[in-house]
Amino acid sequence: MTNTMTISKEKKQAKIVSTLIYVFLILLAIIYIVPLLWVLVTSLKNDSTLMLSPWAMPAKLEWSNYEFAWTKGHLGTAMLNSLIVCGSTLVISMIFGSMAAFAIAKLRWKLSKLTMYYFLIGMMIPIHTILIPLFVQFSGWGMSNTLMGIIIPYITFSLPITIYIMVGFFEGIPNELFEAACIDGCSVYKMFGTVAIPLAKTGFMVTGLMSFVSNWNELLVAMVFISKEAKKTLPVSLTKFVGPYHTNYCQMFAAIMIAIIPTIIAYVAFANQIVEGLTAGAVKG
Amino acid sequence: MDKLMRNKKAIILFIAPALIMFTAVLFIPVCKAIYYSLCNYKINYHPKYIGIKNYVMLLTKDKTMKIAFRNSMFFMIFSIVTQLIFGLILAALLTNIKKGRNFFKNIYYLPCVLSSAALGLLWMFVFMPRLGINQMLATMGFFNGDCTLGPQWLFSTEGYIILPIWVISFVALWQYVGQSMMLYMAQISGISSDIYEASYIDGCSKRQSFFYITLPLIKPMVATAMSLNAIGSLKFFDLIYNMIPEGFLSHKADVIATHLYTQAFKFSKLGYGSAIGVILLVLCLVMTVIINKFVKTESYDM
Amino acid sequence: MKMKKFLAICLSAAMTMSLLSACGGAAAPAAPAADAAPAATEEAAPDEEPAAEEPAADEAASGDVEEISFMVWDDLEASEDLITKGYKDSIDRFNKDFEGKYHCTPITTNLEEYYDKLNALVAAGETPDVFIVSPGANLNDYAMTGVAAKLDDYLADGWKDTFTSDAVFAGGTYGDEGGDGAGIYAVPLNIAAACVFYNTEMFADAGAEVPKTFSELLDACQKLQDKGYTPITISAGTAWCLSMVAGYLCDRNGLNLDDIKTHKTDWKDEKVINAGKQIQELSKYFQKTAAGDDNDVATAAFYNGEAAILIQGSWAIGQINGSCAEGFADKVGVFAFPAVDGSSADPNRVIAKSDSLAMSANTQHPEAAVQLMKYFTDDTAQKYTAEVGGKIPVTNVQYDETVAPPELSYVMDVFKSASSTFGFYNESLADTEAGSTFDNCFVEIFKGEDPATALDPIEDYYEMNVWE
Repeated sequence: MTNTMTISKEKKQAKIVSTLIYVFLILLAIIYIVPLLWVLVTSLKNDSTLMLSPWAMPAKLEWSNYEFAWTKGHLGTAMLNSLIVCGSTLVISMIFGSMAAFAIAKLRWKLSKLTMYYFLIGMMIPIHTILIPLFVQFSGWGMSNTLMGIIIPYITFSLPITIYIMVGFFEGIPNELFEAACIDGCSVYKMFGTVAIPLAKTGFMVTGLMSFVSNWNELLVAMVFISKEAKKTLPVSLTKFVGPYHTNYCQMFAAIMIAIIPTIIAYVAFANQIVEGLTAGAVKG
Repeated sequence: MDKLMRNKKAIILFIAPALIMFTAVLFIPVCKAIYYSLCNYKINYHPKYIGIKNYVMLLTKDKTMKIAFRNSMFFMIFSIVTQLIFGLILAALLTNIKKGRNFFKNIYYLPCVLSSAALGLLWMFVFMPRLGINQMLATMGFFNGDCTLGPQWLFSTEGYIILPIWVISFVALWQYVGQSMMLYMAQISGISSDIYEASYIDGCSKRQSFFYITLPLIKPMVATAMSLNAIGSLKFFDLIYNMIPEGFLSHKADVIATHLYTQAFKFSKLGYGSAIGVILLVLCLVMTVIINKFVKTESYDM
Repeated sequence: MKMKKFLAICLSAAMTMSLLSACGGAAAPAAPAADAAPAATEEAAPDEEPAAEEPAADEAASGDVEEISFMVWDDLEASEDLITKGYKDSIDRFNKDFEGKYHCTPITTNLEEYYDKLNALVAAGETPDVFIVSPGANLNDYAMTGVAAKLDDYLADGWKDTFTSDAVFAGGTYGDEGGDGAGIYAVPLNIAAACVFYNTEMFADAGAEVPKTFSELLDACQKLQDKGYTPITISAGTAWCLSMVAGYLCDRNGLNLDDIKTHKTDWKDEKVINAGKQIQELSKYFQKTAAGDDNDVATAAFYNGEAAILIQGSWAIGQINGSCAEGFADKVGVFAFPAVDGSSADPNRVIAKSDSLAMSANTQHPEAAVQLMKYFTDDTAQKYTAEVGGKIPVTNVQYDETVAPPELSYVMDVFKSASSTFGFYNESLADTEAGSTFDNCFVEIFKGEDPATALDPIEDYYEMNVWE
């Protein structure tokens, strides 16, 4: 009898605690959601109703804000540029990175450890340090204001982490598999292509995700290197759009919305994979 | 097999692209940055060697650098401490609830994948004198209903650490705490449940098991998360650049990265800017070493 | 796959090779200091060549049409500013008249990022063929480094005679201390004078008089405030707005910038300190959010009838007529910045600023570029400047004063009665950083810091960079 009472008391206590936890978590979730909702709602208002009451729902949905932001902010071009830049960075850094990782993890040569350390140092170098020399150099080559001019630094900064993570995955592949392939008469290139790569799919997902997300959001390099409207990436176009249209608040909100909606949609669709992938990458980093 | 794996041609072919690119685009520019930092180098002119003058100027006379350094250090310490505390709390809470773990986790992580440029603009509007928070509070009856009387969130310059820096710190916490949380969660979920069960049998309470089992076992991850936070906040640029319109606050809210940007690309002082970049590099290296030394990474068998 | 790999390797190898060769001199920081400069010079010089070839490539692509670029500090497509719209008209006319021969493509920017972007393009060897500059320190930067072309020869064909006087070229002239480079590097397009705009209705309602002196200005503000109006709207966020008032006050107190430049006096001069104190007195009448409002927000407060006084350049006329409610323009009056009581300084000096065009020294198509510039100073453009844009024209064009905005004639009155003009302080100091430092000092003063200490940064800057 007393036993069951303490248990029910304990249960009650546990219930209160868990309710409190949920209240806290929900309040916190509100802090995360409300600003985004505010942007969404405001982007559909017009400036005069915005100033009158912050609470009111838009009486009439002002889709023209989006039209304005899309055309005058050149966000369409910007999104395309961002896609090109991030896509090509992703592909090239994965090819180069996995090749180097394979050489470090599986091929046998004296300097492999040292090379690995060399790449690892790269992870500690902030891009700010090399911004000026790169700017001078690329300007000299006529590469500022080209997408290539930002793809190259993006690839370079994606390489160390890609190599590091891929080395981990390649090392995890048992040597027996390669020996079997060897007996089948595979060349070292074929081993890389048919054994190593298919077995490190998760690695590719993790590194690809990390590189894509960070480059998609990168502002500083793109801002320094690109000054022509037709070549700006999404964060740059958005940042520069604020200047001239500062007082057209609602249209600014529409621009912000346009800039983050693709990411949010992708996130909602693949949230678990994205969160896990990025965390796996960060853990390794 | 062994011969195959020692194929010199293959090794070179595999390693060359990454190595060359890495050297050309990262390593050589770092050397060049060091050289430029010893030069008087204005845009459109040729660099002129002047020894360590830039560094002397930066470290002794440049008041904005002092402010920038102070702000950067504040960001770093703030983010290390708050991310550690809130990250751990969230991770502990989320691992202990049964329903909706994924839901909450995904919501808190969302800002990490969004562009800080866009979020910076968003929060700038939230903290504007006539919009957002002030307008909201005013309609609720604060400030006598006049939003312009509310706090100047992003424009007040009083105090040792000015209000805008606090505001931006919290926004950064909001944006990135999800990452710390996930790191700790990943580590906690890796701890075998046997250990906990054993501890409960020994009469441990949940709280005790958190302090005596969870915390020590996730220590390596604390080091990782800390260095991520430290380096991340030293490199801090996007949020500040977008939350404080250029020219506002007379550089009182500058951090090292924005100071570099202003000096190099606004006032065209490439040599001076390079010197700031080199200092930033040194800071990043030092912080990594310190954190890895003091938060010792012993690995436990889990 | 193999092919791709091969290509990639070749590419990266080629890139490294050129990088290694290009920075051989830099990677090993030259040990003896004396050698460093020439080595670096050699390194930088060849860098410019590949960039210079680019325009040539563009030209080949577009057939026989000579393509030139034009850069201005606004978005020609989206701006509501009437002066900007006038620029767009000029370019459209140019493109229409020379169809098949020349074509001009504008590069869009905005005021805040204009010089950053221009410098970036210059560094990249992609200087726009024609670009807008502020005369003074800014232009000198481009003239001195050979970025801007000397225009004397082009002006000599009678073009120069169309201008009102040689004086309008003063800001566009680079002295070069008597060297070969001395000459005109920029052609003015229009002149704006900084004046005080006021809402006549509010003044009448509050019983305020148009002030002649600073103390009268304070009185007028007090009356307006007592009536419940916001007396002055200004932006301390966009630092140059406040700096314009600071410049006026310094000048009215009798400060001579040349004395500062030659270190006859310094920034702790009584006259500057006085100006600081006066800013603080005046700041009681600013709108509450002055520190956080940017220029757009602050000027909008005037157009929307929320505040009584706006101290602004006469480009505000173009904005008033471009973007505010019907009938508002009739309520606007203009007066000259008042004198400071007890100062012997000339109270009739006016801050004037002209938008000027410079031409790239490396342009492949100088004729097209000059032709384009002529379109900005022809009668159609200048008439538009006065009648629609509300700025003071630079040529002897006859415009219809009845069509022009009424404010223009008030500004013209102020301008004509001016004894002499001077530039914006932030554009008239040693360099852009000095200008920006000056702006920031006065923002601090406005926020309440004691002028005696708030001026330290600009004083230090001059100690370290100018007065050596």
